Amino acid sequence: MVECEVRVVNRLGLHARAAAKLVRMASGFRSAVRLERCDRAGAADAKSILSVLVLAAARGTELKVTAEGADEGAALDAVRELISSGFGETEE
Amino acid sequence: MSRSKKGRREARWRGTPVSDGVAAGRVLRVHSGGRHSIYRVALDAPEVEREVRRYRAAVRLSRRQLLALKKRAVRALGDEHAYIFDAHLLMLEDRKLNEDVETIIRSEPVNAEWAVKVVTDRLLAVYDEIKDDYLRERSSDIEDVTRRLFVALSGESLPSRRLTEDACLVAEELMPSTIAELDFAHVKAVATDVGGWTSHTAIIARGLGIPAVVGLRDFYRHARTGDTVVVDAQRGEVVLNPGPETLDAHRARLSRAAAVPRPAPVDEPGAPALTADGVEVSLLANVELPAEYAGVRRHGARGIGLFRSEFLLTQRGVMPDEDEQCEAYEELLRVAGEHGATVRLFDLGGDKSGGLLLGAGDEHNPALGLRAIRFCLVREDVLRTQARALMRAATKGRLDLVLPMISDLTDVRRTRRVIEEERGRLEAEGKAVGPVRIGAMIEVPAAALVADKLAREVDFFSLGTNDLVQYTLAVDRANDDVAEWFRTLHPAVLQCIRRSLDAARGAGIPSVVCGEMAATPAYAVVLLGLGARSLSMAPSSIPRVRRALSGVSAAEAARVAEECLECATADDAEEVVRAQFGALWPDLFPPETLPPPKSRG
Repeated sequence: MVECEVRVVNRLGLHARAAAKLVRMASGFRSAVRLERCDRAGAADAKSILSVLVLAAARGTELKVTAEGADEGAALDAVRELISSGFGETEE
Repeated sequence: MSRSKKGRREARWRGTPVSDGVAAGRVLRVHSGGRHSIYRVALDAPEVEREVRRYRAAVRLSRRQLLALKKRAVRALGDEHAYIFDAHLLMLEDRKLNEDVETIIRSEPVNAEWAVKVVTDRLLAVYDEIKDDYLRERSSDIEDVTRRLFVALSGESLPSRRLTEDACLVAEELMPSTIAELDFAHVKAVATDVGGWTSHTAIIARGLGIPAVVGLRDFYRHARTGDTVVVDAQRGEVVLNPGPETLDAHRARLSRAAAVPRPAPVDEPGAPALTADGVEVSLLANVELPAEYAGVRRHGARGIGLFRSEFLLTQRGVMPDEDEQCEAYEELLRVAGEHGATVRLFDLGGDKSGGLLLGAGDEHNPALGLRAIRFCLVREDVLRTQARALMRAATKGRLDLVLPMISDLTDVRRTRRVIEEERGRLEAEGKAVGPVRIGAMIEVPAAALVADKLAREVDFFSLGTNDLVQYTLAVDRANDDVAEWFRTLHPAVLQCIRRSLDAARGAGIPSVVCGEMAATPAYAVVLLGLGARSLSMAPSSIPRVRRALSGVSAAEAARVAEECLECATADDAEEVVRAQFGALWPDLFPPETLPPPKSRG
């Protein structure tokens, strides 16, 4: 199992569009991918959009990402990159 | 008794007509997917696997619909705007949702609808706990997906693809999201069990110029898709499976109805109506649906007098961001042309949210609750986003902003302060901003009573007569049981209107009357008499109001209005209009165009 910490940086946080991107990406890997709020207020299966949305990760939330499985390294890198890049959303 | 070819009997329902015209066509039932109609049905063990399969089939059907919608959205709006359907698709595919629903179906065992309700209720409860407002709004997405599943399970999927040329929509109630999904250009008539003159269905039907009858109570239950139906919005009647005699009788009325509303050609787009004694009255358009935009020019509107901006939200099911709003307002300006457009700030809360509560909780008395300007002042983030989008769009044309449900000057001042802050910020960010005039909706008696004070601090007045009648007379406009107390010509209402128009004139600011009252020729003439010189209405109503105004004299109208103001009761005022209009302008106002007597005796 591999893990890392990452901060939500985009203005709207893990809203529907961002969550959809994340879930699509995570679902592309064989490994199980989980997100946990560093304040311990919740954890989510990164392949379930309902679970990700309920995390209510607004901008600034610190998340612990874990991946476990055959392609765990690649999965972790991809998810970290997506979140830390603000989901490719342009800021105003 | 006449029988249709299917052998089903002719049957009639009476309701409230909310637009003009008569149409015959085929019933298209539309299920509204409401949560309230979901019941628990216990299953026997042998039925369980079939129920799970039924659930899975509903998920597959919903998926296909969403994929089609997404494709359409990508084509119409581009990739970035279709993401919401992507999120909905992922929810439907969500392993957790599907596992939980199937577990409940099997373990209880219970029907799929109930299992979906239990699981999504639980999710919605978790959402209610979320602190971040924007993220909490996402509960509306769950609501939307759930509704779609309920409809799929009911076996009455949204038939947008099968919409035939002669479709007459029949529903318990039309939801804003349903309206967005259907291609209304092909709908011939609408008949619903609930709703009133000012319901969403009614406003849209008038906007599109199609007949609509609401308040039919149990019609939906009796109609079957494909049945022949006559929707008669002149008589407020719906006939199911009409026999040959009935169809013949209606055919004559159908052709007459079709012949009447052809508008007289307008010499110049946006030209004011001219009364017989030479008084000019500007006629503007109320719009909310893109489908209505075409009517703005066609009917010769002098720009857009009222854009109900909350439709941007109900149409998409999500709060549009600043750029999306800015684009929508620019589009509106293109439609409006040189005379410009007036945008009403989001009128959310109360009955306007269409299920999108955006954090406003259940209220005991929503009409008097956190809605309109109050909602905007509490949810300042929403107000700020809208104000920014409006000021940016205002570089492209003349754009005015009107504040809904003002009851106190303080509301105006607070809103102005927020808007000015955002103007400063936009300028600091180096963004181009245009001038936006700020007006007050006069729709609460309190505002009419302090209209002279309000007029000194706003740039214009918009009189919203629907709410003004509702709030002055304390009558819920959507409640059929009190429909007979909803009296537009009540002297108290007329006094509020007169007072507001006088205050605007005294302060030298323009005023426009933009409630449904302005769209009814007889009432429009009363408004003229009260001093209104600018009326805004559904585009399709403009030709008949123009015709009525050009046939009357403003001086006579003023005399009749004066007499109405002196009346003691709504009955008396209506009688004055019936008698005077009938005598002065018998050709313009045959008896059926005047308010019918509805005295409670």
